[in-house]
Amino acid sequence: MSTLAALARLRAVRTGTAQRLATVRHCHLSDRPMVLIPLRMAGEAAAPLAVMAGTDPARPRLLVVPQPRDRDLRFGFAAELAGVLLPYIEGMQKATETVERRGAEPYERSVDAPQIIVPNAGSAAFVRMLGRSTRFRRAEGPYAVHPSVPTLGRWLTYLGQRAQHPGSSLLLAATEALSLHWATGQSRLEDANLASLVGWIDPPAGMSGAQAAREAEDPLVWPPAGPATDPGFDNEVLAPAIRAYEETRSERAAARVREAVRSQLDPVWRLVWRAVGLLEALPAAPGVASRWEADRGSFSAFAAQLAEGAPPQPKRDGAVGAASRLARMERARSSYDAQRAYDDALVMAEYRLTGEAFAGTVVAAEPDRAEGEGRGRKLRPLVTVRTGDPVRVAPGTRLGTPQRRGQQAEVVSVAGGEVTLKIVKGMGRGASATPGAVPEVGEPVCYAALLEEFQPPPALPAPEDTPWTHGGPPPENPPEAESSEEEWS
Amino acid sequence: MSERLDELEERISALRGEIRRAVRARESALTRSLRADLRTAERAWDLALAAHEPPSPGEPHDSRAGGGASARGRGAGPPPGREPEAGGGAGPMLPVRERVHQALTLLGVPSAARMLVAVHGALRAGPLKGTQLASLRRDEERSFRSSPFARPYYLCAALTDRLSASRGLFAVSTWPLERRVVGPLSARVDFLTSAVRVAEHVQRISGPGGEAPPAARRLLARMAQSIPGAVPAGSGFPGAEAVARAARAELDVHAADDAAARAEIARACERLTDAERLFGGTILSLAAAGRPGAERET
Amino acid sequence: MDRLDTLRGPVPPRPHDARAIAALAANPGCERRAVLDAAGVDKDATAAHLGFPAPFGQSAFAITRGNAFEALVKENGCAELLRLLRDLLGLPVESAGYTDLGDMAGDPPAHRRHEHTRRLIDRSAAEADDDGTLYDHPLLRLEIAGHTAYLEPDVVAFRLGGAFHVVEVKSFAVVDGQAEPEKVAAAARQAAVYVLALRTMLEELGHDPLRVSHEIVLVCPENFANRPVATLVDVRRELAVLRRQLARMTRVGRIVDALPPGLTFDLAPGPDGAPARPVAELRDAVRRVDARYAPECLSTCDLCFFCRDEAAGRGSTELLGRQVRDALGGVATVDEALGLADGSIAPGEGQEEIARLLRLAGRVYAEAG
Ligand code: SF4
Repeated sequence: MSTLAALARLRAVRTGTAQRLATVRHCHLSDRPMVLIPLRMAGEAAAPLAVMAGTDPARPRLLVVPQPRDRDLRFGFAAELAGVLLPYIEGMQKATETVERRGAEPYERSVDAPQIIVPNAGSAAFVRMLGRSTRFRRAEGPYAVHPSVPTLGRWLTYLGQRAQHPGSSLLLAATEALSLHWATGQSRLEDANLASLVGWIDPPAGMSGAQAAREAEDPLVWPPAGPATDPGFDNEVLAPAIRAYEETRSERAAARVREAVRSQLDPVWRLVWRAVGLLEALPAAPGVASRWEADRGSFSAFAAQLAEGAPPQPKRDGAVGAASRLARMERARSSYDAQRAYDDALVMAEYRLTGEAFAGTVVAAEPDRAEGEGRGRKLRPLVTVRTGDPVRVAPGTRLGTPQRRGQQAEVVSVAGGEVTLKIVKGMGRGASATPGAVPEVGEPVCYAALLEEFQPPPALPAPEDTPWTHGGPPPENPPEAESSEEEWS
Repeated sequence: MSERLDELEERISALRGEIRRAVRARESALTRSLRADLRTAERAWDLALAAHEPPSPGEPHDSRAGGGASARGRGAGPPPGREPEAGGGAGPMLPVRERVHQALTLLGVPSAARMLVAVHGALRAGPLKGTQLASLRRDEERSFRSSPFARPYYLCAALTDRLSASRGLFAVSTWPLERRVVGPLSARVDFLTSAVRVAEHVQRISGPGGEAPPAARRLLARMAQSIPGAVPAGSGFPGAEAVARAARAELDVHAADDAAARAEIARACERLTDAERLFGGTILSLAAAGRPGAERET
Repeated sequence: MDRLDTLRGPVPPRPHDARAIAALAANPGCERRAVLDAAGVDKDATAAHLGFPAPFGQSAFAITRGNAFEALVKENGCAELLRLLRDLLGLPVESAGYTDLGDMAGDPPAHRRHEHTRRLIDRSAAEADDDGTLYDHPLLRLEIAGHTAYLEPDVVAFRLGGAFHVVEVKSFAVVDGQAEPEKVAAAARQAAVYVLALRTMLEELGHDPLRVSHEIVLVCPENFANRPVATLVDVRRELAVLRRQLARMTRVGRIVDALPPGLTFDLAPGPDGAPARPVAELRDAVRRVDARYAPECLSTCDLCFFCRDEAAGRGSTELLGRQVRDALGGVATVDEALGLADGSIAPGEGQEEIARLLRLAGRVYAEAG
């Protein structure tokens, strides 16, 4: 944790409300996100109890398994969930745009993509787990399921995996998204409770954030946001209702389970939409659009794979696949971090504290300084910045600047609160600098040793989505026959 | 009537909320009294429901409805162990002890309640519930002690090497003592023997070229899982013959050692009374006699 | 140990099970917990009486599921377990013995059951062959700060090539070779308690304690089926942590000696069944022993809400978690840290660096926000 984030938490304690960690929103928010809240039966790895889902805050769909241990009911539920989710996802594939690529065939990319918003990281993990437990099912054979079930499984798996890609917004966990933008006066562990996190950020009238957060810890006031249910609820309410259903299998008993579950999900439903509202109120950062473009590209590529009948995602990454995936993630992570810093002075502030970035005022500039002769002559302006920040960049380090995103400068010298830089990239080919290309004396500037690395153009599907049928690494474990028959109990 | 149900449901859910609060606050006295209220309300709900929608014929109904429609037809408790509960549909209405005897005879070795229930469910008509077995052994013992050997057989206990009754294993009094005692290898040997017996039974009921009912095949498949070489590569149900063959192969490894250990325990049983030989010795000093396996070494 | 009895008051000490013993190591720096545990005080009841009931509860569904899975692994003389061990450790087919150590006539008291376990394990350790391979329902014991804790493991100790292994059956799933790391860690901590107890017993019996392997066998359901799968887990690290904490607890005397004489956490019930002790008095007593609150307490200690409230009352930076404390270089309170940040408090000895950072953070935050 940076000193800045720590200070923000301290201030949250003092003021009783959450403090901003960002001035702009760093995740994409769809015009029509789908909120999805899954609940799991306690003690089971992948036994869904219920899901509340929908794109309209006023009309949640509630799907319930009245006896989560009954496999037929479970697959019925999976088919129902597919009935809610797949039309939403498939609807996004309809409108496409043609993306031209240099040196490659143009391809079609969806102009929009699905966005699933779940309450917390645990729910996102459960989505992955649901994907794992359904994607190998078959529509024929001994344990046949509805044909939509394996398709649902592949989509859930895809979304779950894509969520681990830094900067992706296809599957968002509300707690994570909020924590990226606000610091509370409690610990990270407690921030995992959505109700308490929202309480800090947006307390009800007449209450401090701290009070609202405490109240949110009472499962009787705010049921947990899942995927686990409150044990007290399990023992006192749910267990008798399920038992009654088990004994009678009547409509009325099923309705009782349903109502019990609804009592837990209704408040969470409102809460997640409140979280969406809080995020919506922030203006989107410039980098959001390009990252969403990458999401759309990845989404389109996966949809195409599915349409071509690719087999379900393998159970494990091959050793080679895992390593390259890790490297890709790391690259994506550092480029995402850099983008956010350049987009947002508050994020940049963290780098200023560590000396990787500094802000100050230009005290001297030689805009038309050049190096080399004849055709090799290049504009290499010198700029000197006075700063009060603790600069920790060595001469020779390459820097970027949020004020001129295309430029790069090299540190020439650091001495006595003054940094002299040479602009080495982005000066164009002219004999003299175009007006405004070089900061003038008196201009406030910020430089950072963070380079927005060359991202694979968003037009290309992300490499992790390259199907092995198209030259990707072959799966080490081809989907085994048993997977379609393995019990789901 | 349904307003009454709605009202009761509201009361029930309010009570549940209060109970959760009381449980959280660790107020056990309050919790208890709230729970009592809840039971009362639930009973009223059950009754109201029974009056509201009469159960459709053949559909099992909530058995907690004491005095409700579903309780009709149950007499004042038949003697324990002889409860003539109806089996599923057309099954013969055998008393529990006879059903257990059947299952034990089929398996031919001391068996735990879990196994008996599984075997009876899969291979015999009609269900057998674990709870029905709970008091069975005690009832049998009482009957034996009041008039010894009056019945053709008793459901008794398997005896451990301490000559006491094994906690969970049922046996039949007419079996030779060597079969009713258990040594260290007996659990394995008896399991393998059961597997052979189940496999043979499955073969019998499927007839030439026929298929056994799915429940029977599932039971066999589950047992086969823990026998080396019994499950074919790939998927699908193991064949009964293959299971029997695999089980016999492992049996050959243990049979002699197990028989020797059992014979020794059986000999030690000579000092027990008739009743103790069936239902276990209770004299703790016998325990100090130790495990016959240790004596074998000397 | 009279002193600990006074601290507990006239109620029997709360027995420790393996889970509780494993949890002792969760916050080793906390004196409050060390004292309460050593004295066998019921922390859950204490917290409830203080008006801060612990936020823990176990779902009946989870309990049922756990029991059902254990029964499945153990049915038919641990037939499934035997299959797993044959695959995992190459247990030879001949080694198929099974002894239910819990199968004793009547309902013998714990010490007698323990004696029985002890006798058979002793014999097994002395024997050359692996005749009795699986020992089900052993009853082990461990001394915790002078009290005897009997451990009723759902585990089986078995012998292979003269070595004993501890088997731990858990019902969380292993999906595609992966399980939730926190759950595996908790299982390892718990199994380490059994390993330690078994080693202690072998040592007392004059056998080599290292014949109890530090690799335990963890049995879990695989994927979404009920079928069990076994994995070896090395618990050496957990053993080391546990030993350290148990040693600390025997040294708890030093902490106790420094407490005011007559101090007690007495929870003896009054006529209404609730503890008779006035809450304020109990609160003062508990506060006499220093705590070291951390947000992790919220999942490991019954007193967490009480200690959190206390930390909040002091304005302690402990509330915000270890990461924040590290970033603050150990500054103890929120007021002090904010004072250093806005310059209203002059940095003390050794605080210059963190004060400079905080002031800078304050300035940068104001500029950027
Ligand atoms: S909750 Fe309190 S007593 Fe328990 S470990 Fe944490 S600080 Fe110590």
